[in-house]
Amino acid sequence: MKSSARQAQPVSIMHHVISPLFGKGHGRALVVFGFAIVIFIAVMSISAPYISPHDPTLIGLGPANSAPSYQFPFGTDQYGRDLLSRTIWGGRFIMQVAVAAVAICMAIGVPIGLVSAYTGGNVDRTASLIMDSIYAFPSLVLAIMIISVFGVTIVNEALAIAVVYIPSYFRVIRSQVLAVKEMAYVDAAKSVGAGVPSVLLKYIWPNVASSVVVVATVNFADSILTTAGLDFIGLGLPVTLPDWGIDLTYGRQALPIGAWWTIAFSGLMILLAALGFSLISEGYAERTNPKLR
Amino acid sequence: MIMILLSVVFVVMRVLPGNPVLLRFEKNADPALIAAYTHALGLDKPLYMQYLDYLWNLVHGNLGLSMAGAFEPVGPQILSRFPATLELTFYAFIVAVVVGVLMGAFGARKPGVPDDTVKVFGILIYAFPVFFLGMILQLIFGIWLHWLPVGGRLDPGVVPTNLSIGSVQLATGLYTIDSLLSGNLAEFVDAVRHLILPAMALGLVISGVFVRMTRTNMMETMRADFVTAARARGLKERTVVYSYALRNALLPIVTIMGLQFALLLSGAILTETEFNILGVGTYLVDRINFRDYTAVQGTVVFLAILISTVSLIVDILYAYLDPRVRL
Repeated sequence: MKSSARQAQPVSIMHHVISPLFGKGHGRALVVFGFAIVIFIAVMSISAPYISPHDPTLIGLGPANSAPSYQFPFGTDQYGRDLLSRTIWGGRFIMQVAVAAVAICMAIGVPIGLVSAYTGGNVDRTASLIMDSIYAFPSLVLAIMIISVFGVTIVNEALAIAVVYIPSYFRVIRSQVLAVKEMAYVDAAKSVGAGVPSVLLKYIWPNVASSVVVVATVNFADSILTTAGLDFIGLGLPVTLPDWGIDLTYGRQALPIGAWWTIAFSGLMILLAALGFSLISEGYAERTNPKLR
Repeated sequence: MIMILLSVVFVVMRVLPGNPVLLRFEKNADPALIAAYTHALGLDKPLYMQYLDYLWNLVHGNLGLSMAGAFEPVGPQILSRFPATLELTFYAFIVAVVVGVLMGAFGARKPGVPDDTVKVFGILIYAFPVFFLGMILQLIFGIWLHWLPVGGRLDPGVVPTNLSIGSVQLATGLYTIDSLLSGNLAEFVDAVRHLILPAMALGLVISGVFVRMTRTNMMETMRADFVTAARARGLKERTVVYSYALRNALLPIVTIMGLQFALLLSGAILTETEFNILGVGTYLVDRINFRDYTAVQGTVVFLAILISTVSLIVDILYAYLDPRVRL
């Protein structure tokens, strides 16, 4: 492996971050399989209005809680809504929340981590202390606390999830920067007069960016699970939306009569979405970190 | 650490915009009533005074009065719910460690198909929403097979044993322990039957983390010199793997146990809701629905202190296990 050579010089983001996704070698199957799942869900969610057989919110379309049949392949829920249509539509909102949450928390966590680790001293100590405290706290409890104060809306849900996962980015970026900033080429850049922003962006960031991919994909999986969890305890999306989390939550009311189809498909879709991102993350980590092989 | 956590709680609950008083009243409520209520809660004082009040009350173990219902103190309410959560998380943790460490060690020892299976299991189980796994278990073992109950902590009608000598309460509220101490075997069996499904659901989901950690740590440890040395001395492969390598691979796992505990608590909230267990998690969810702001804050503070205590214990445990830390 030429990893020592790669560490020793600044390289482009393209080389370091994107290319490990597609080349041959270890962990490729995981990445490819993960991407297949994620793309499948994305395509299904985007094209939902065109491919869904019925209106997902139409009440009384069929009998209540009817088992899967030729007419309703996934069965119907307690209001007689078509579960196949709801499953197809169900990813749109949960995925939007996840995308928004990941974007927000990456945009906040990464710069703080970069600056904090590079500056060092009291700035770093304070930031680390705060971030570690948030990190040590149960994510769901923190999200619950934030939403209960701000009120239950989709935006607040995304914000709450974002706040919860900022420390993950901070910690990973920080530890990487601490290692990279001692490298000879960083000193070299500084000695020829590169300013702080330029050192951070041109010399340090490309070398730590690949770990952001690992964190972000895990973050996606966690966001999806946390969104579903918030839906489950009634602090998530509005109950009127066709959504996997909502369907799973209310579908369980039909469990006592043995109606497995009211939970099976929405639950499997959440599982699949989280699994897709976890696979990408795991495979990517294996490719960029030789220790894991 | 505790101070930081408590301050974060304070900042989120008080300083950030969002008014608990307005949440409680309808939009067109009488302003005088709102003002009186704000005053009663001490929310009209300057912020630093509120912060000092908050800390002062905490030191005295006072988590405030519930804002919904009969204005009961929050502290005792939380404490009465805590044993259920403790019992659930304890057994779930055992499931997670046993399943996780055994599978991880097994995978690291046998490369190829067994290892890949372990790896996929670790990823798959981590992606499971804990309440979905709970529903599947309920459906299979509770509703289809009728083997195990699907909710609660005891069968309806079973009264938990009350252990006391004179006026001294001895009952821990942990039904599996109380019933054993009092020799009530029927109650013990009942409590265990109720615990199996929720502890399995929560424990299996958390075990994913242990599988991964154990597996990667073991693979590294197996390459260490002392393992080669042990093999060279002709020890059995099993002895080398389980008493030499695994013991050392477990050390880093102990350090992250504090963080696992936070994960466990998040999962416990959902598991308690799914299995209808009256613990701290369901208390928190109930109180949110009542917009009982002091109770929510009290629960969060309680959990913050709990987590800090656990991470302290983990640190001490680590020093005990790894002599290097003590130097």
